[in-house]
This record gives sequence, C-alpha cells and structure tokens, in this order.
Amino acid sequence: MNVFINKLYIWSRSQKNRDLLIQFIFVIFVGLFFYYLASKARLLDMTLSHFSSRAGFGISHTFIIDYTSNDSRWVSYFTGVINTIRVCIVAILFASLLGTIMGVARLSKNILFSTISYLYVEILRNTPLLIQIIFWQIIFLKLPRISEALTFGNTVVISNRGILLPSVTGSNNGNIWIILIIISIILALIVSYIVNKREDVEGKNIKLFNLKINGNLIGILLFFTLTISTYFILQQPYNLDLPSIYQNNKGTFLQSGGFEFTPEFGGILFALVMYTGTFITEIVRGSIQSLSKGQTEAAQALGLSNYQTMTLIVLPQALRSIIPPLTNQYLNLTKNSSLSVVIAYPELFMVSRTIMNNAGHALPVFFLILITYLSLSLAISMFMNIINRRVTRIGT
Amino acid sequence: MTKNFIKWFFSTFFGSIFNSIVTILSALIFIFLINNIAGFISTSEWEVVTANRRLLLIGRMPEEHEWRIWSILWFTSFLIFSSINSWGPPSKKDLLLISSSIIIICLIFTTSSKILYVVISLLICSASYFTSHFISKSSNKIYFQNSLKILWLLLLPIIFTLLIIGGGPKPNLWGGFLLNIILAGIAIGFGFPLGILFALGRASSLPAIKTICTIYIETIRGAPLVGWLLLAWFVLPKFLPSFWGINEVSVVVRAMIVLTMFTSAYTAEVIRGGLQSIPKGQIEAADSLNLNYRTKILQIVLPQAIRVVVPALISTFIGVFKDTSLVFILALTDLLQVGRIIPEQDPEFFGKALEALCVVAFLFWIVSISLSNLSSKVEKSLGIGSR
Repeated sequence: MNVFINKLYIWSRSQKNRDLLIQFIFVIFVGLFFYYLASKARLLDMTLSHFSSRAGFGISHTFIIDYTSNDSRWVSYFTGVINTIRVCIVAILFASLLGTIMGVARLSKNILFSTISYLYVEILRNTPLLIQIIFWQIIFLKLPRISEALTFGNTVVISNRGILLPSVTGSNNGNIWIILIIISIILALIVSYIVNKREDVEGKNIKLFNLKINGNLIGILLFFTLTISTYFILQQPYNLDLPSIYQNNKGTFLQSGGFEFTPEFGGILFALVMYTGTFITEIVRGSIQSLSKGQTEAAQALGLSNYQTMTLIVLPQALRSIIPPLTNQYLNLTKNSSLSVVIAYPELFMVSRTIMNNAGHALPVFFLILITYLSLSLAISMFMNIINRRVTRIGT
Repeated sequence: MTKNFIKWFFSTFFGSIFNSIVTILSALIFIFLINNIAGFISTSEWEVVTANRRLLLIGRMPEEHEWRIWSILWFTSFLIFSSINSWGPPSKKDLLLISSSIIIICLIFTTSSKILYVVISLLICSASYFTSHFISKSSNKIYFQNSLKILWLLLLPIIFTLLIIGGGPKPNLWGGFLLNIILAGIAIGFGFPLGILFALGRASSLPAIKTICTIYIETIRGAPLVGWLLLAWFVLPKFLPSFWGINEVSVVVRAMIVLTMFTSAYTAEVIRGGLQSIPKGQIEAADSLNLNYRTKILQIVLPQAIRVVVPALISTFIGVFKDTSLVFILALTDLLQVGRIIPEQDPEFFGKALEALCVVAFLFWIVSISLSNLSSKVEKSLGIGSR
C-alpha cells in the first residue's frame, strides 16, 4: 500500500500529470452537471415536431413570404427570421452612415456641428435601448390621425398608422427580372475582376478599339446595360406605386399602395439606428484620433480641402482599425433587434415567443433561436472578415 | 479684439461652402430640437410622475419597510460621496452635473411627508463629501481610503442584510428603480469574479478547461439577453433541483441568475483582452522567479490585465445596468415597466406616456453618465492614455 501511495506521489509531482488530473476532475464535474441537465431534459419533449402543425396566429408584417395563420409554424418562424434580417440590414446601413457622420462631426472645428455630435452620443448612449424603442413608437403614434393625414402631393402620406412611401409593384415577370439583376451583378463582378487581374498581371492598361478600359467601369456599364435592356425585354415588369388615402362607403379611411413604414417597424428601426450609431460614432472618433497627425498635415500641405482630406486620406486609413469593433457592434445590433418584442414588431424572437406561449416545448424552440442568432452572427462576421481583408491589404 | 472674433467666427462657421452648409444644417437641427423640447415642456403635466413617486422608485414595497430603503440610501450616498475625492478633486463640470442632478431628483421625488428624510440624505451627502475633501489633504488619507475600499466590498452584503433582516419584504415586492439597482448590483458583484475565472479558463493552456470555458462564453454571447430571460421564465424551474425548495424560486432570483451568467460571459471577454495585452516577458519573469500559479495570476497577471481594461469593464457594467430594464420578459415591474404601465392602465394619466418615459430615461441616464464619468477619471488616474 505504501509503495502505491509513494508511486502516486511521484506520479503527481510531474507537471504534465498534474495538468491531466486537473482537467480530468474538471471534465468529470462538467460531465456530471450535463448528465443532470440531460436527465431532467429527458422528461421534456426535445423535438420540433409541433412546428409542422398549423400556426393559428397572424403576423402583421410579412415580407417575401405570404404568410397566413393557416400555414405551419415553420413558415411563421421563417417570416420572423426574414423580418429580423430586413430590419437588421436597413439598421446596419443607416447606423454606419450616421455613426460615420457623427464621428467626423465630433472632431470638426465647427463648434455647432461637434456639439450636436457630443450631445447625441452622451444622451443616447447612456439610456437603455428599450426606452428609446418605446420613445420612437410613442412619437410615431403622436402623428396626426389618418383622417387628418399629412400628404405631400400623393407621394408621401404621414399618419399615425405609419408613413407611406412610393414604391414599385411587380407584375408576373418581376421575380424573373430580380433574378436577372442578380445574375448581371455576378457577371459584372466577374468581368471586372478578370479585367483588373489582367491589368495587374500585364502591368499596363488593356486597350479595346484603341480605348483604355478600366475594370470597374466595364463592370458598371455591363450591369446597367443588362438590367435596363432586360427591363424593356420583359415589358416593364415594375411600375411605380403611389400611396393614397380614400374613404369607403361607410366613411372609414383606408390607405392603399406604396411602401408602408409602420410605427412598429419605424420604432425599432429608428431606435436601433440611433442607439448603435452612438457606439459607431465613438469607434470612428477613436480610430481617426489614433491616426498620426502627419497624415492630415501632409494632405493639407498638398492643398487638399477639408472634405478631400477626410474622404481620401483620413477615413480610408481609419477604416483599418474601425472594422473589427464595428463587426462587434453589428452583432450587438442583430441581437438587440430582439427587443422589438416590446412594441410587437414580429421578428424572430417575438414569433418564437408566441409559439412557446401557444404550444409549450420551450427548450427546443430556444435552441432553434440560439442556432438562428448564431448563424446570423456568423454570416455577419464572415462578411465583415471579407471586407476587413480587403481593407487591411496594404499597398493596393 | 472684435476683429479677431469676427475672423474666428467666419473661419469656423463659414470657412468654405461645405462648412457653411454644415453650419446651416446644424443650426436648423438645433432650432428644431429646441423648439420641440420647449413645446413639450410647456405643454406637459408632470402629475403622472409626482402622483406615482413611490411606485417608480420602490414599487409595491409596504410602508412599514421603508426604513430599510432609507438606511440603504444613506449608507450608499455616504460611500459614494466620500469616494468622489479618491481620484483627485472633481472638476467643475462633474460638480455641476452631480449637484444639478441631485436638485432635479429632489424636485421630482420629494413629498412633504418625507421631507425630513430627504434633508437627512442631503446632509449626509454634503457632510461625507466635505469630510473626505479635508481628509484627502491630510496625511491620514491612506487609512481612510483603505477603510472605504473595505466598505465598498461590504456594500452588497450590507444592502442585502438591510433588505432581509427581521422579516423583510419578499423579493417579488421589490420593484421600481430599487429592483434595477439590486439586479445590476448582483449581476456585477457575482458576474465580475466569475468573469475573471472564465477569462483565465479561456486563456489557460489546458485544452479541456479552455474548450469548456470558450463554449460557455460563446453560447451565452450567442443569444440575446431577452432569449435567456425567456428561457429562465419557461424552462429554468424544470431544471432546478426540487429538494432545496428553490423549485418555486421567485422570479427575481431567476432574473439574478440569468443576469449574472450574462455579465460573467461579457466580462470574461473584456478581461481576455486585458490578458492578451500583457507582455509575455511578465509571465516569463514570474515563471523564472518560480512563483506558483496562484501568486503569478493574483500578483502579476490580473493587476496588470484589469488595469488596462477598466474603461471597457465600466462600459460593460453600464450596459448591464441598462439591460436590467429587460426583465419585463419575466413580468417584473422595474422602473421602465412602472413608467409604461401607469399611463396605459390608470385612466387619470392616459396619454401621458412621454412624460413618464422622460423621467424614467433621466434616472437611467444619470446613473450611466456618472459611471462613464467615473471611467474617464479612473482612466486618467491610471495614466492609460498617456503611456
């Protein structure tokens, strides 16, 4: 016995063995914890079989998918996912724009401009997003009633049911045209890539009929010729759709046509843009400040204007340190979009909450939510990594 | 003099065409905002806030338990105001912010029956501020600061003793702003140490520990907080062991668990950044001195790592504090919920949602802005920016 303990002691003196032992104990504990969770979870239904049955609830905002309450829960879930993606894409675009403008404004010599940026950041960054969402919804609901709606020559209609903007409606050929647009974008990218690559390799401009051609220009030209020609070939698949308000025979006001910008969508969009914009402002400001002052001075010595200095010298360099934290903010924005549950904008979180309330089986639905958000985050990260690789490529 | 001023004025505001456009646009935005805000203030009635002060601040806590809140308030304000001088005397801007916010809060939330308590609180604030101001100039300040540090560490236990001692109100009676502060306090108080552990685990060289910690952090960060709260609402009771009697555990405790887990994951990510910023020579030096793991971490690695990330840590904490408003998912009535429910359900205050929301936003804002000012002060006193 003594010999055994002695051997064990010697064995445990080795750092490698001790590391193994620690990990072994740690894994055992975590494993026991998961075993406990699994034993409890076995009592629950962990399948998503109830997702194929009828949903039975309506969704106020549908986009791409024409959802009705008779569809299955899967369809309702994907309607929610599309709503999330839609609000996130629009919010990310506008938040980046706002953040960049405000970040530049914060460093502007114009006191009025920099004060606006300062107040914007200090006030909106330090209040909860939830309050801002509710605030924007209240503002939208305080707009005039539909009977007294503000109209601007039948192009924009503003009332507390939402803002109607002009949009386009597609005929049967509409979807074909969209697919053709996507194909022509891909074609244009490929062609411009090939031309640019050949120019890089040959080290001189390629000439076509004695004209110098540029890869980017060729791509843009190709895209426009393709889209415009197919537009007329398909007999004008899209028409302008102007919003209008009319009274039916009972005297109630109805609205028709146009793109509807509802108070819910507007509330979540404005709040997300304004809130995330403050963080992007700080990122942009920090990155610009971290550039050496010689860059600006050199640009001024070359006689560039303030605007040119900003867009040609400062921002392109600042972009290198902006992108990684910006990605983080985009991920936060995506996750924050789930807060629109408070104003009943039916995105993926609200739809799955409704499903959980109706049908129970919360745990598998939660895993579905987790996987969906993870894949959205992954998609954003991958996209931003591609951009980051392009931006950090020094010397091109 | 005037010529210089005019020259300066034109060069800053109308130096170029682009600059002039910017100036005019910003002036228009200012006029629009001031016009709207002035219109809102002149037409609004604050009855909705003044009639519901109690609900907004402490929720449905019974009258006989109010002394607990007052003693907590006095103790915390003593601590806060004694510590203001710790990072050097506050600037005029800070003093203006602090005093004006105190005046506004007192104006909104003082009732004639509670005026004595309010006066005592104000006296405690000013007395502790001036005492610490004089002590910070004397040679004994190190003892004072050390005792303050200990009191800060004891703050959470003391608050909970005061809330629970002698049959305090049940947690589901906590509400209003009190609930937000308690939840944030718990989440930060427990989430921070846990976060350090997870960050160390993720930076560890042992693959099993590293993998498990990474999975934990990334899973928690993968889903939004409302998702985790919803999970706690539906599923957590089924997973808690039944033999402790915590199966029917109050919803507040569930919110605390979720917020703590969430804070720990986010704090861990922040601290990991600090751990990565430590030069390798530090760790090699510690190894060559033959320090054991615990000493190496506690004396060499962590002090340097945390020092670098103090600003990021405080902004994480501000985020947690703001996120406590999400507990509406668990049907808890925190400050924001009280402010939302009153104008919706009390017919007397229909249509006063914006007024209530403004006061709620102001309370959240004042805490967050104080914390972010603190962060910039700490940053300056640690000299992070100037290195």
